[in-house]
Amino acid sequence: MSKRLFKNGQIASEDSPKLIESDVLVDDGKITQIARGISADGAEEIDCSGCVLMPSMFDGHVHAREPGEDHKETIESCSEAAINGGVTGLILMPNTLPAIDNGNLIQSVLDIAAEKSRIPILQAGCITKNRAGEELAGIAGMAAKGAPVLTDDGNPVDSPVVLRRAIEYAMDFDLPLASHCETKSLSGKGAMNEGAVSYRLGLPGMPAMSEEICLERDIRIAQYTGGHIHIQHVSTAIGMNAIRRAKEDGIRVTCEVAPHHLIFNQEDIGNYDANFKMNPPLRTEEDNEALLQGLIEGVFDVIATDHAPHTHFEKANDFGSAPFGITGLETAVVSLYHHYIRNGRFGWDLLVKRYSAEPRRLAKADPIAINEGFDADFIVFETNATTEFSLEFMRSKSGNTPFIDKTLNGQIRKVVRHDALLLDR
Amino acid sequence: MSKKDDEPIPPSKKDLLDIASLSVEEIEYLLKSAGPFKELFKRSIKKVPALRGKSVLNLFYEPSTRTSSSFEVAAKRMSADVTNLSVSQSSVVKGESVLDTVDTLQAMKTDYIVIRHKAAGIPNLLANHTRASILNAGDGFHAHPTQALLDAFTFREVIPESRGKRIVIVGDILHSRVARSTSTIFNKLGVEVAVLGPGPLIPPGRNDFIKRLSSWEDVFDWKPDAVYLLRVQMERQDEQFFPSLTEYHKVYGLTSERFKTLASEGTYLMHPGPVNRGVEIVDEAMLYEKSLINQQVENGIAVRMAALYWLKPGTEEK
Repeated sequence: MSKRLFKNGQIASEDSPKLIESDVLVDDGKITQIARGISADGAEEIDCSGCVLMPSMFDGHVHAREPGEDHKETIESCSEAAINGGVTGLILMPNTLPAIDNGNLIQSVLDIAAEKSRIPILQAGCITKNRAGEELAGIAGMAAKGAPVLTDDGNPVDSPVVLRRAIEYAMDFDLPLASHCETKSLSGKGAMNEGAVSYRLGLPGMPAMSEEICLERDIRIAQYTGGHIHIQHVSTAIGMNAIRRAKEDGIRVTCEVAPHHLIFNQEDIGNYDANFKMNPPLRTEEDNEALLQGLIEGVFDVIATDHAPHTHFEKANDFGSAPFGITGLETAVVSLYHHYIRNGRFGWDLLVKRYSAEPRRLAKADPIAINEGFDADFIVFETNATTEFSLEFMRSKSGNTPFIDKTLNGQIRKVVRHDALLLDR
Repeated sequence: MSKKDDEPIPPSKKDLLDIASLSVEEIEYLLKSAGPFKELFKRSIKKVPALRGKSVLNLFYEPSTRTSSSFEVAAKRMSADVTNLSVSQSSVVKGESVLDTVDTLQAMKTDYIVIRHKAAGIPNLLANHTRASILNAGDGFHAHPTQALLDAFTFREVIPESRGKRIVIVGDILHSRVARSTSTIFNKLGVEVAVLGPGPLIPPGRNDFIKRLSSWEDVFDWKPDAVYLLRVQMERQDEQFFPSLTEYHKVYGLTSERFKTLASEGTYLMHPGPVNRGVEIVDEAMLYEKSLINQQVENGIAVRMAALYWLKPGTEEK
């Protein structure tokens, strides 16, 4: 039981780009008062001058690597990384070893999370058994254990008829299917976006159409069946515009964008830096700009990082052999502030809406907001401070991020959840 | 000869990874300094003591006869101690195990490592990892800088005023590190480069950085000073890029008829070897008086000596 008074902060919400200067009183884990000049007896006062208070983030696309690859990450280290980045809710992807393709496996993850994680965790289930794209996974069992979404993430469901049956069946449980869009025969052994840069580096390329063809197919299947398809980590302008048109046509499609696809492009790979290798790959500068516009215009429902830890040893390989994926939980909020909010490309409301409120709604998680009567679940973010993303800073077991050893503007000072100060620096 | 003789020697680099990272001055210097090394070959004693007491490691993860022996001869003519290591040639040798191997070899205090590997970027990885000078002898589709140097040197031998001259590269442009490095060096030296090859073997998408010709008729119309045939590498192709070798020869190969036209124009003929007779090149063209293919091999030793002479290993182990 504690009472905390957050003084002189600026409160952000999803409803308006304007920040509201106010004190926030948290009593016994609940926000009891929001007003200027609050004084409360016995409350611990926390000075938030120069800080923005915003609802904590929710990341719907995270790889915690447990079970099976806990040398890269565990549910515990993943949840601590999330807290370090101001994220207090996660959906874990099911492409672990073994793949999470039945209710018992979901329960086993939730049991670990209950013991090891200081934030709530949801576990997505597979669409097909062992993500092989052939037989449907135990969907009813996974739905019963609270899976918010089904996905074979990392793999597309190659067969259109399997995807069709899956989406039709999942509708009975009100579950969306999340799709990693890729036409494997077109991507081949590709390690990066196909184009002038892959040619120059002599690396096999993955053409943008590999993603776009699968994306168009999945949308068409959603249209035909009436099911809900969620397109993961959209990386191309053409793909995004296909989703935009589908939404205008009333098709049940939602989608996400990853910060790295906004901030970086193929030129950043430079001298074969595998911290810029992920799937879908970094595309072009024009795609960066188009995706950013799409985010501002509301094409993207959510921001999600596709947090994908790999060890230094694995990433210190030649670019073609290094595994796909970069971490994102610890860098997302600061990097989005640094690149876009700081210079007015978009407002705080966009960040709160797309990385906190909307992902919670999609996952049917309890809504949070900095409002009287709500549970406390917010970040204190200091705009004039900086964050150095050193290995020491990271709480993930892996440091495979393009931001490693970079210093960016903005710093997450506190993460408050209910009665706990999950992060305090 | 020219004022170039007075130009200062560009500061040595540690590594030779690709042509793109060399300045025109550095390229000119390497080409110029290869000349005297080639002169040595006419003497009864072909050795110079420049690298006496230094060690060169030839680390080949891909089969190679020409390039590995050329580097070996070059290093020995510089009086270096040479160790040849043909490591497992399976495709599963990844960068991490290459680094492990190099860590082991550090104990030998090697000064120069010549590396060939299937994966693009491995030489860059090694260069950041070791004090030894890295000489890229071919990495995946990426680069083959000493091949490019010997090509430019050979071209200059027969066409000394090369600026504004033309060369056409024919074959698998997409998967060829030779095409990349050689077109880069010719571009830097002011030689115009065009390519001819099957559509699927031309870099896809917005490839306006490459001048593409669409047939041998186009090639002859363009009046190149040299035609550079690439080896058609069936072993690289795990997917099908053209219907058959026979069809390749008919459409893109130097057939008897095309060879006659080429010879009548007096166009020089180049090839990085080894050739596939009857595929990219017809038999009789091998005896063509303006074929530079054997000259390329000889010059390979000279430019590799020049490269070894110019590079300077680092001082600290990494």
